[in-house]
Amino acid sequence: MKTIQELQADIVDEFSVFTDWMDKYEYLIELGKGMPLIDEKDKTDDHLIRGCQSRVWLSCRKEDGRLHFAADSDAIITKGIISLLLKVYDGQTPEDILAADEGFLEQIGLKENLSPTRANGLVSMIQTIKDYAANLREKPAEAPRADASRDLQDDVIAALRNVYDPEIPVNVYELGLIYEIQAEPDGQVFIKMTLTAPNCPIADEVVAQVQEAVADVPGVKDVQVELVFEPEWTVDRMSEEAKLELGML
Amino acid sequence: MDIRNEFPALEQQAYGRPLVYFDNAATSQRPRSVLEMQQRLGVEANANVHRAIHYLSGEATERYEAGREAVRAFINAPARENIVLTSGTTASVNLVATCFCARYLRAGDRILISEAEHHSNIVPWQLACERHGASLEVLPVDEAGELSVEELERRLSAAEGCIKLLAVTHISNILGIVNPVAEIVAVAHKHGVPVLVDGAQGIVHAPVDVQALDSDFYVFSGHKIYAPTGTGVLYGKREWLEAMPPYMGGGEMVDTVTFEKTTYAPLPLKFEAGTPNFTGAACFVPALECARAIGEDPALQDAQRAMRDYLLEELPKIDGLRLYGTPREKAHKIPLFSFTVEGAFPADLAQILDKMGFAVRSGHMCAEPLLRRFGQTSMLRASLAPYNTLAECEAFVKALRRAVNMLR
Repeated sequence: MKTIQELQADIVDEFSVFTDWMDKYEYLIELGKGMPLIDEKDKTDDHLIRGCQSRVWLSCRKEDGRLHFAADSDAIITKGIISLLLKVYDGQTPEDILAADEGFLEQIGLKENLSPTRANGLVSMIQTIKDYAANLREKPAEAPRADASRDLQDDVIAALRNVYDPEIPVNVYELGLIYEIQAEPDGQVFIKMTLTAPNCPIADEVVAQVQEAVADVPGVKDVQVELVFEPEWTVDRMSEEAKLELGML
Repeated sequence: MDIRNEFPALEQQAYGRPLVYFDNAATSQRPRSVLEMQQRLGVEANANVHRAIHYLSGEATERYEAGREAVRAFINAPARENIVLTSGTTASVNLVATCFCARYLRAGDRILISEAEHHSNIVPWQLACERHGASLEVLPVDEAGELSVEELERRLSAAEGCIKLLAVTHISNILGIVNPVAEIVAVAHKHGVPVLVDGAQGIVHAPVDVQALDSDFYVFSGHKIYAPTGTGVLYGKREWLEAMPPYMGGGEMVDTVTFEKTTYAPLPLKFEAGTPNFTGAACFVPALECARAIGEDPALQDAQRAMRDYLLEELPKIDGLRLYGTPREKAHKIPLFSFTVEGAFPADLAQILDKMGFAVRSGHMCAEPLLRRFGQTSMLRASLAPYNTLAECEAFVKALRRAVNMLR
């Protein structure tokens, strides 16, 4: 099968015949209409990536070391772009997906669609694809450690790295929203966290996601999340990696 | 008045096509008089206000207070003490939700809002209710998008004094219907309930006389009525503003400060802690002068009605298009149209229209509960200003038809 780079080159080639945006959009709309839909039963909140403008659903399964994706969106142009992304990533190995970038979308003049200000869910979707890849990589077995709660703490952090503010393509941990984690050996976990803005309309949702993600960590029996706005969150709390991701460095 | 010439932003192109700006309910463009004044004040009156005794500070303070006076005159408030300058509608609502509720809201009480509110007139009240153990009650709109004064009367009678304040929009940013606010205020007052009117859209499209309206609070933003962003107004009746505790603490809102006890500055400065957006507020003078001139120009008023009538007639002719906010009396509709089209998702339409040069809004537009009431998660909105033209409306209908066809 073709490599990610070859598939991207094919798409760039395909788009080179379009002379104006209208042709390009019509093509995306066609792609969007033709894309195999995600199974209705998979169209759950677990697979939902929420944007202000449109919603995206994405599911992933691993077969013979390769990842297969299914996706949907209520906006058809967004769906067309998703279909391009899946053309490139579907059936690839997690390692190749992690190593690839999405520069080809810029080459075909769709970069504006990847701007976080579009709030169409695409940026978060790409991040989710990468997360699936990162989590489904063949991992070398780690030597068991003596300190069980230390271990649990690490697992909780790993789980938090999978929770996103829907509008920001950086996970809540890297964003610096988590102020405190106490993971007791008996499986009791206490988390103190904040949000980027106190009036965030999706506050409950982010807190619920944190709660759920941590509850799913093996060994965790009970999770308590406390939401605080003191001290106030500032961009200084973001990790270097997060700042880099958002182009602030 | 050659209005197109007054607004230089309208001369621009988007992707090589003439820009048609139909997102005026989000923010309006600014006239030359405002743009020039912003620049001039940066040179001639850039010093902190209400503090120093030097020449430049005096100039700045005078301009800032002139902005306040322009606002006072525009809405016919009794005195400058009634006009608190803020950073926008959101800040004004939050101020009242914090300070009024601190004084008057107790556990078990209720705040009444309407179903047609912007998030800015929902969330501050939710937060206040949480702080004080109170609850939020919602007055519904009907299928047409209209509020029922009878239903309001019924709710107020049933509440038996539990409702401490009614917060209602003058004109919803989705429905574009002028609510019967004077009637609403009268009914609420009959039951002893004070009223805050969200005038973010109302101040632009309806004449506002706060004394005739008799509302207890009237709030709006400057940037929707030709002033710079970061400017806003809280009009309040004096007895409420006197009784409410201060909002933020800081400079300029104080009389004397000791570590034991601080006394506060008299109104309106009591609510204006910190350095205000003095240049922005000073620009209320040319901005409201522009609004006044537009309001008194019969040709422009006729043109606005013609645009409204044209779109009210032509949009529903598009197959599968559903318009939200269709009052029984056409006179109650402003030229603001929110709609959905079967088989064409709003974000897609907005994206295609954008490429054709039309700036429209899509999404939930900060009024999720109202959209949900109509069974939608997303709508498309075209909101017009007096500087738009009938030719732009005609081009819009054509472009919209084309976009719909592309998507189906």
